[in-house]
This record gives sequence, C-alpha cells and structure tokens, in this order.
Amino acid sequence: MNEVKLFLGPQHPGMHGNYSVHMYVDGDIIEKARPTPGFLHRGFEKLMERRHWMGNLALIPRICVPEPDINEFVYAQGIEMLANIEVPDKAHWIRMLVLEMARVMVHLMSLGFIGGPTGMYTATYWAIAQRDLILDLFEELCGARIYHMYIVPGGVRKDLPEGFTDRVLAMMDELEVKIPEYEELILKHPIIHARAKDNIMLPAEVVWELGVTGIGMRSATGEENDLRKVKPYAHYDKVEFEVPTATYSDALTRLNLKVREMYQSMRIIRQVIDKMPAEGPVNVPVSPGNALRWTVPEGMVYSAVESSRGEYGYFIVSDGSEMPYRIAVRGASFPQGLLGIEKYLKGHRIDDASIWMDTMGVCSPEIDR
Amino acid sequence: MSSMNNIINEIKAALAPLKMETPADKQIAAVVRPEAIHNSLSYLRQRGFTQLCIVTCIDWIKDSEFELVYILFSWTDGIHVQLRARVDRNNPVMVTATDIFPGARYYEREVTEFFGVEFTGNEDAGKPLFLEIWDDLPPLRKDFDPQAYSDSKFPMRERGNEFVSEIGGTEK
Amino acid sequence: MVLKNDDNRNIWEKIGDYFSANSIWMKWYCTGCGAIEMPPTMTSRFDMERLGMGPMATPRQADVLLITGYLSTKTLRRVIYSYEQMNSPCFIVAFGSCTINGGIYYDSYATIGRLDKYLPVDLYIAGCMPRPETIMNGFNELIQMIKKGEAKGWKHYQENYEWYKKNQLDSLGEIIIKDEFHE
Repeated sequence: MNEVKLFLGPQHPGMHGNYSVHMYVDGDIIEKARPTPGFLHRGFEKLMERRHWMGNLALIPRICVPEPDINEFVYAQGIEMLANIEVPDKAHWIRMLVLEMARVMVHLMSLGFIGGPTGMYTATYWAIAQRDLILDLFEELCGARIYHMYIVPGGVRKDLPEGFTDRVLAMMDELEVKIPEYEELILKHPIIHARAKDNIMLPAEVVWELGVTGIGMRSATGEENDLRKVKPYAHYDKVEFEVPTATYSDALTRLNLKVREMYQSMRIIRQVIDKMPAEGPVNVPVSPGNALRWTVPEGMVYSAVESSRGEYGYFIVSDGSEMPYRIAVRGASFPQGLLGIEKYLKGHRIDDASIWMDTMGVCSPEIDR
Repeated sequence: MSSMNNIINEIKAALAPLKMETPADKQIAAVVRPEAIHNSLSYLRQRGFTQLCIVTCIDWIKDSEFELVYILFSWTDGIHVQLRARVDRNNPVMVTATDIFPGARYYEREVTEFFGVEFTGNEDAGKPLFLEIWDDLPPLRKDFDPQAYSDSKFPMRERGNEFVSEIGGTEK
Repeated sequence: MVLKNDDNRNIWEKIGDYFSANSIWMKWYCTGCGAIEMPPTMTSRFDMERLGMGPMATPRQADVLLITGYLSTKTLRRVIYSYEQMNSPCFIVAFGSCTINGGIYYDSYATIGRLDKYLPVDLYIAGCMPRPETIMNGFNELIQMIKKGEAKGWKHYQENYEWYKKNQLDSLGEIIIKDEFHE
C-alpha cells in the first residue's frame, strides 16, 4: 500500500475559492479526503454582536461574496418577523427582481468557472464578461457593483430609477439569444462530456444522509423541493414558474439544471416587471425614533431563502436592545462542502474534487464566515 | 392552518415541552430538557422533519447557561421547528445527534470549537476546524473581547499629527 | 517604512527590469473577498492581458503576488510560505482598505491589521473593493515603477529579514504548521 499525502491546497488554479482538501491518494485515486475550511474566517458572528442593527447592513453582504443580496434579504426578513411589520407591496416586487437577477448572475459565474477544473477557459471568458453587463445594471440601481446594501429592514432603500425596467427587459432579450450559445459551448463539448458525464454521481439516499439542499437535492430525488414553492416568501406565490428536476444526478445534469433555472429566473423577472405597481411607497420605518439606532423586540426567529446553492438562513436572537444578541448563519453549502467531501470523494480521481465543488455549488466564504 | 394546529398539538403531546410558541408564520419553537433532546429528535425525524438545517448555541452569560438550538425542516409540510435546551455553562455536555442526522457531525464540531460544549459520542469534536493554534477562550463566548485580542496581536498603523498647527501654517 | 528612491542599478539590471515590466506573470491565489473582481479584470471585458499580464499557476514561476483584501491568520501562513518560494525580483500589490489598517474587520480576532509588517508591499490600491478600472490603473503604475526601479520590496525583505520574521512570529505563533492532517 503506497499512499501519498497530498493537499489540494488553497493556491490552485482549479480550486473554487480559497479552500483546501487534504487527501491520501493511491496513484490517481483518492483513498481518504478531509476538508480544511477556515482560510476566510473573519469571525462574523462575533462582529455582528458589536454593531447596531442598522450598522450591520454594511457588514453582512460580505458573508457570501458571489451572491450578496440573499444576506440582506434574510436579515431584513428576520427583523420584520420579530418586529411584526408589513413591507409595502412595491418593495416585495423590487426585492424579487433583485434576487432573481442575482440568481442569474451566480449561475452564469458558476457555469463559467467550469473552465478552471477542466481547462476550457473559453467558457470563463465568455460567461464572466456577460455577467459584467448585469453588474452594470446593479451599479445603476444602487451605486455599487458587488455589495449593494439595497434591501433594508422595512423595504428597499430607494425607488427604481427612470427607465430601469426597460433596460432590464433589454438585457433579458439579449440573454435569451446568448444562453443557447453557452449551452452549445459547454454542455455539448467533448471535453466536458469526458470529464463530467456519468461522473461524480449523487444517489438519492446520500442526499437525505448529508442534508444537501438546492440543485444537488433536486437533481437526485426528482422532487420539486424549492423553498420558493414549498414556503413562499415575498409574492413568489403570485408568479408562475417551474422548478427543474432530474432523477439521474451526474455532474453534466447538474450543469444542465443551472441553465434551466436561468431560463425560469428570466421568466420570473418578466412577470415581475409586468405585475409591479408603477407608484407606491417602498419602505416603512422599523420602529419609531432615530432612523439609525432603533431597537427590535425580543424573540428568536429563523428566516430562510432559496439561494442558488440551497437553503440559506439566519437564526436571529434579540434581547430588545440596540445590538443583536446572537446571529447564527446557515451557509447553504455547509453540508456538501464539509461532510460531502469527507464521505463522498473516496474512489474518485484527484481532479474530480474541483468539479464536485463547482457543480454542487460550494462557496467557501459562507462556510467559513 | 388547521394542519398547522394539528402538528402543534401532536408535537406537544409527544414531546411534553417546557414551553411552546410560534414566533413566525409556519415556524414552531419548543423548549425541552437536555435529557429529552435525543428522543425528541428521533420523534421529529420520523414525523417528517427530515432535514437538519443547523445546530448552534447561544451564550446566556447572566443565567450562566448555554442554550443549544436544533432547527429542522419538513419538505412535505413546509414548517420549520426550533428545538432548544439549556445546559449548564460550567460543565456543558450533550449527547451527539449524529446517529439520527449524520450531517450534524460538522455542526457539533463547530459548536465545540467556538463555545466549548462537549458532545459525547462524536469523536471528531475536539479537533480544530476553523481556527489554528488557538490559545485563548472559545471565541464566541460573551466574555471574550475580540478588540483587545486583535490590538494585542495585530498592531494597527500609528497615526501621526494630522492637524495644521495654525491657520495658514504648514503641517508639522 | 519608506523605500529610498536612489537608482543605483547597473545596465544589466535596467535591461532586465525593462523586460520584466512588460511581461508580468500574476500568481493565481484569491486570498480574500476582493478576489471577486479579479475574473472581470482578467477576462474579455477589461482584459488585463493587453498590459502583458497573465495568470500563472505555480509560485516558482510567478512575478507578482496580489493580496486581494483581508488576510486571516491561516491564510497569512500559507502566503508567507509561498512568497518565499517566489524567485526574486518579485512584487506584492495589496488591494483594498483591509491591508492598510484592518478595514471593516478592524476588531476581528482572526484578521490582521497591517500587511506591511509581515510582507513588503510595493503598491496599494484603494477601494472596498477596487473596481476593475482601478485595478488596471494600479497595474499600469506598477509597470512604470518596475521600469524606473522603484519596486524594491524584495530587496527590503532580504535585507531586513529578521525584523519581518520577528513580526510574523509575534502575531502568528508559528509559520509552518506541523500537524496539518490532524492525525
């Protein structure tokens, strides 16, 4: 038995983010794998207890770096549950628009980053440049490209600019033409087929054992387990959309599901722009008094949202003061990034570890917090 | 909503909790004794709450207790359940939940590292996961001051004199 | 720490600096949250390759190390370890406000405050996080600095090695971890 200790370390072109996997390999096959998170650990849960409720808004988008809007949404939804306030109608529609645009952006980026593990960098060059045009729309909306700080407790910060919805619809029309080109390039390419087809399977029993949600769960069990359908929030019950599923979960099917979900998100965005009222207030104050230092009533609540990788949630504990008492973050990729790598990579090749992380959606900042 | 009331009554009858409330729409919170956590988790798993969302802990330093929180979700009913129990802060021990939910292994390891709670039956729980060569209190406890630690180990930049000394004068 | 700007290079060093300024290989390491703006800079919209810069996988053949944002202590150990594997002349560019004075995580127990106590920094780029246009501006500035001979961080590291090591060991404890595999 001739085993070699190897670490697929933090500095690697095929590694998805700043993450490391320690493995014992025999030739090219992995015998034992251990995940090593912690490279991006900043101590968010401690920092959030030391800032006011409103001041936390500048800090929390940085927990999940590729898709920062879900952080703001779960935080705002949790505070609204505790303080028992009702958000105005137009704010719900605008929040849905922002969340779905963020979902399209993340799926484009994840589709593009398949170029890292497989060596097909054309996918990366096209998809990241396309995603940049959506970042331009976000810059017009709230002033910043990556960290928006737009969804606040009580609604959204400001109303949409003039003509914004026309530009969003023009972007959707452009994406409808471009996404078939990505499918042609990525999903029908012989390199991707050789690496991802019939490889890294995820059987249905493993899903329940690991606790995986999101695309991993929907591609293996075939059920429509999506929080937007099962426990709808923010007017998702008033738009029509489908949740793509599959029963045979190899890496190529999961990539295919991402493209299908992008089409459904574009369908939701068109309906949202159609049904959104033209006029109306977009935010309400959370509690009377000072606009920046307000208090939230006592209680403990868990608020969750369906992100592009699974169920993402915050458990918020308040003791009635101006700062949170405890906030616990449930990263959506915690099960598949930690337990999935330990139990599940045995028997695969070394290069399959990166493809697991890309197709299952392992995002290292939200595991480390 | 009738199915929600049914579920609440069934859980109340089966678990006999110390306190039960609904903090939000389609969310149930139940407080039980720490010895009853294992049976409660088995019952809830059979009842249909098959997904473990998170295992975490709250530090109530004034009462000198830790409160462990298990959050479960049922995809068929669409309801979240918070299961909570308080243990003593000076000797925090709890039975592991990995035989019911295998995914709890890493959550328990994280709670051990950040709070110091021991989970009997989880042999990985003592190994460090996020921190490396940590030499102080478990960081998420309320008596740990991160600013003091950060100033002592990672010094910041010294600022010189930034004011103009007199009107119309030059900086020193 | 002020690097004096006296240009005492000989003719071979000047020729070498001219060529190395026009073909910089960037080491592929995304160390912090500022790394999300690196793919837009590298790909076809902002295209870093027209300045002559391209990505490189291994530290032994790379020229510049980009510290994109904050550094936690765990990452800093690996960054020091791989910086010492880079062949001189090598440069460090620090992105964002977290490297200057701790940034938004100033009171965190896991991130460092000042980067230039542990590694020599040649250029800071401001922002949180810097936009791709700012990053390209910064790279242009780096190219001019190398041509004029002002990017001398690696010489400073070699001359003041004990000072850097003492700071690193004070803050980190140990640099090369013996028990990584927890066995």
